[in-house]
Amino acid sequence: MTSKRRDIVREDCRRALAGGTEMLAPLRNSALFVTGGTGFVGTWLTEMIACLNDEHGFNVHVTLMARQCGRFVETAEHLAARKDVTVVLKDVRSVLDLPPETQWIIHAAATPDRRVHASDPVGAVDVIVNGTRAMLVAAVQLSQLRKFLNISSGLIYGTQPWDMPAISESFCGSLDCANVSSGYPEAKRFAETLCAAYQSEHRLIISTVRPFAFIGPYQPLGLPWAGTDFIRDAMLGGPIRVHGDGQTIRSHMYPSDMAYWLLNILVKGRSGQAYNVGSARGVTLAEFAARIADCVPGRPRIEFGVLGERRPPASKRVPDVSLCASALSLGLSTDLDMAIKRTISWNQTT
Amino acid sequence: MPRLNVAILGSGNIGTDLLIKTMRSSLLRCVLFVGRNLQSSGLAKAGSLGVPISWRGIEAIVEKPHICDLVFDATSALDHQTHWPILDRLGKIVVDMTPARLGAMCVPAVNRDSCLEKRNINMVTCGGQAAIPLACAIRQSHRDVSYVEIVSSIAARSAGPATRINLDEYVETTEKALVALSGCRRSKAILILNPADPCINMQTTLFAKVAQPNLERCRAAVAVMEKKVQDYVPGYQVIVPPIYENGRIVIMVRVQGSGDHLPTYAGNLDIIDCAAVAMAEAIARKHFHVTPQTKNGPGL
Amino acid sequence: MKKIIVSDPTLRDGNHALGHQLNVRQMVMYAAASDAAGVAIVEVGHGNGLGASSLQVGESAIEDLAMLGAVRAVLKHAKLGVHIIPGFGTINKNLKPAIEAGVDVVRVASHCTEADTTQRHIGYAREKGRVAYGVLMMSHMAAKEVLLNECRKMESYGAEAVVLMDSAGAYLPADVSERIGFLARNLSIPVGFHGHNNLGMAVANSAAAAEAGATLLDGSARGLGAGAGNTPLEVMIAVLHRMGYSTDVDLYKILDAADLAERHLMPKIPTISSLSIASGLAGVFSGFAKHVERVAAEYGVDAREVFRELGNRKVVAGQEDVAIEVAIELAARKGEEK
Repeated sequence: MTSKRRDIVREDCRRALAGGTEMLAPLRNSALFVTGGTGFVGTWLTEMIACLNDEHGFNVHVTLMARQCGRFVETAEHLAARKDVTVVLKDVRSVLDLPPETQWIIHAAATPDRRVHASDPVGAVDVIVNGTRAMLVAAVQLSQLRKFLNISSGLIYGTQPWDMPAISESFCGSLDCANVSSGYPEAKRFAETLCAAYQSEHRLIISTVRPFAFIGPYQPLGLPWAGTDFIRDAMLGGPIRVHGDGQTIRSHMYPSDMAYWLLNILVKGRSGQAYNVGSARGVTLAEFAARIADCVPGRPRIEFGVLGERRPPASKRVPDVSLCASALSLGLSTDLDMAIKRTISWNQTT
Repeated sequence: MPRLNVAILGSGNIGTDLLIKTMRSSLLRCVLFVGRNLQSSGLAKAGSLGVPISWRGIEAIVEKPHICDLVFDATSALDHQTHWPILDRLGKIVVDMTPARLGAMCVPAVNRDSCLEKRNINMVTCGGQAAIPLACAIRQSHRDVSYVEIVSSIAARSAGPATRINLDEYVETTEKALVALSGCRRSKAILILNPADPCINMQTTLFAKVAQPNLERCRAAVAVMEKKVQDYVPGYQVIVPPIYENGRIVIMVRVQGSGDHLPTYAGNLDIIDCAAVAMAEAIARKHFHVTPQTKNGPGL
Repeated sequence: MKKIIVSDPTLRDGNHALGHQLNVRQMVMYAAASDAAGVAIVEVGHGNGLGASSLQVGESAIEDLAMLGAVRAVLKHAKLGVHIIPGFGTINKNLKPAIEAGVDVVRVASHCTEADTTQRHIGYAREKGRVAYGVLMMSHMAAKEVLLNECRKMESYGAEAVVLMDSAGAYLPADVSERIGFLARNLSIPVGFHGHNNLGMAVANSAAAAEAGATLLDGSARGLGAGAGNTPLEVMIAVLHRMGYSTDVDLYKILDAADLAERHLMPKIPTISSLSIASGLAGVFSGFAKHVERVAAEYGVDAREVFRELGNRKVVAGQEDVAIEVAIELAARKGEEK
């Protein structure tokens, strides 16, 4: 990766840490174990730890475990080469024991790629259910473990009612369990229940995070998500195609904030509590596309409903993050416009 | 009786089916069955059969390199690219079941002997295993084969997520192998998934364009080739012997699976596993001077 | 007024009717007329799409890229569309060069139960900034719940719309209303319909699709297409306008385009032959018609019986070779009976 890309990401980490690092002090001189460590979440966590170590003397050692590291070595070789980072290649379902010095676990192994959920729902579900179980069994044996952070998903809530402005952690949601599309969220729900069971029976200290949507570096632009589609279309010179009437509402968080929030929840989150992680600022896809267009020279054209006027009932997915804001004093260091600009410049720098 | 020690990398359907076939062979001994997911049913099955297992991937072989002479790689093309340099350094013979195309393309009925000296042997594709022997029979009976096209229909249930996402690799590998091994000038491969219930057996049709078709010689050559394949793929059967129709030679074969680890309709998976085991047995004989004592010894 | 996007596959599906022998001159002439009439998408190619020229389904008179380049040059408003079936056409050999030649809309097709074969092709088209559709062929062979699940797969891969094809011409309007209605209610992307006329229902089926919520409809000039042909475009436009839909298509100009196609593209106007009725009832892909006719004559068996047996075997599009096997088998049975 070019140094320019590294600089963008490091600046992002500094901005997220600008409010001070004292809340994260419990991490000093400790060992963190991350499953799914070479994915989007793991890579950003590692960037943040690297910044804490390099610029604030935190001396955290990170072990990243993943099935594959191919892409990680290509896109983040500066992380893979660090002395304070160890990469272990292993399927999370095969975990029997963890390094005895492990004090913190962030369990992020699972693919959020909905193409995989569609083509290999069995594999996607299996990794979540059996991977989480293997990690919990191993965590029980650790003598120095301080917290197990389970990365769940904002999708566990199912459909957000249109008249609900934002989803709070107490919303039980609804999913059609007989629908194969529910495989991923149902598995994530079960993983949360499994965590509750281990907490109850084995007294493990576990917090859960429910991430929503992100936009930023390290997100492959090939993912068929509205945000990545729009940015890719814009970078190709447009037009940016918005399906339907563009009234669907989503919110996007920049990943350096995500990483900062995760570390805070890891350190200070209450056991048994789930925390939404995302941006509370919902925008329509029409507005989102317009903001992206504004960030590209020549302002690419935006097309609506080119494939027919069919207007599906607009959907909405916005988290209520007041719990993180009030209990953990977390906020955003990067707003949507800045997130878009930085994502585009990171992707343009190859 | 001495046997060739083999390891199997990959605990999915192909790997597990290879394990069952290997255990039946009097020339091979599976000394290690390797996966990545401790909780996979393939590892559980191997364990229940008393075969040593590991879930530590290629590392398991790196740590005990002397345990085996030959490795079947039944993982994925991407993984094989990582595995081959490691196995090469360890001096292993590798039979590659993935479409990675790093090694010599092998269809035992056609080029078993020339593959005996190779260290990385690629088993092409199911369609290639079924059709290339026929293409060679046509080539043997005609001076010039300008074009060969093969169409394979397989039961949808026999195609897992990896097959479905890799149709392009299937097509390209099969086309390349057709030209390389049969000597035709141009080739095309088509793959069709058929969801009919009950499941269809794998069926492959070969079309060829030749100058001056000689059906009589062609039929004789195809009959000989059919026997050669049947020696290691019991369910291989010519159902339409060479005919000349609409300006092209047409031959059709059906492949029924042995039903080892996979259902009998999965002839497409069976044929490539049968071919791989046949190749490993030939290597066992040649390199280690093992005398054949198998039920299908003659012809091997 | 509700709007229907009209896609014209005359120069693709029509190739089935002509043994894939349409030439560049014919293509350019018709594409210009269709474009001038206001059709949204002009589809071009071998009947089975990119990379499908083969002994199995028939060889094209001209290369894919020659067709695409020539038609690209004459389209002023309409988008240039292609059909591609994974298993026939690959990204490297066929889709990549087609996109470089200026294709706007990539319609990635699979048998109606095998949508997960389309993931990479749909993804590639989207990555290149092109419009990607998912197409489910032979859709009469699956229940609506199965179709919905396959459509959801395509949506997850990035398909921006899905089209149900009645490839065998087997539907009655009630079947179409049920399936299209179910998809339109449950999907968030637009739904389309592509009819065949084996049972004389293509226009009625297309109208039913529009009423049930389809916003994309396919039709070709005089119905030029596989078997008994597609939905005749000029009739479909007239009917849609009569029903109060807007299409952006000028009726007189599309009538002119159909006349031009009749004069310059077709040796004979598509009709519902007796054989295509048998084919529609058997639920066999309309593209089999020419192959079945040929092998039935060669082996002296009744082509309708060949269709019936193919229907029993539940063959899918692309299994044209099985017609030979069936004809040989029927001939042998006939021999035994004698």
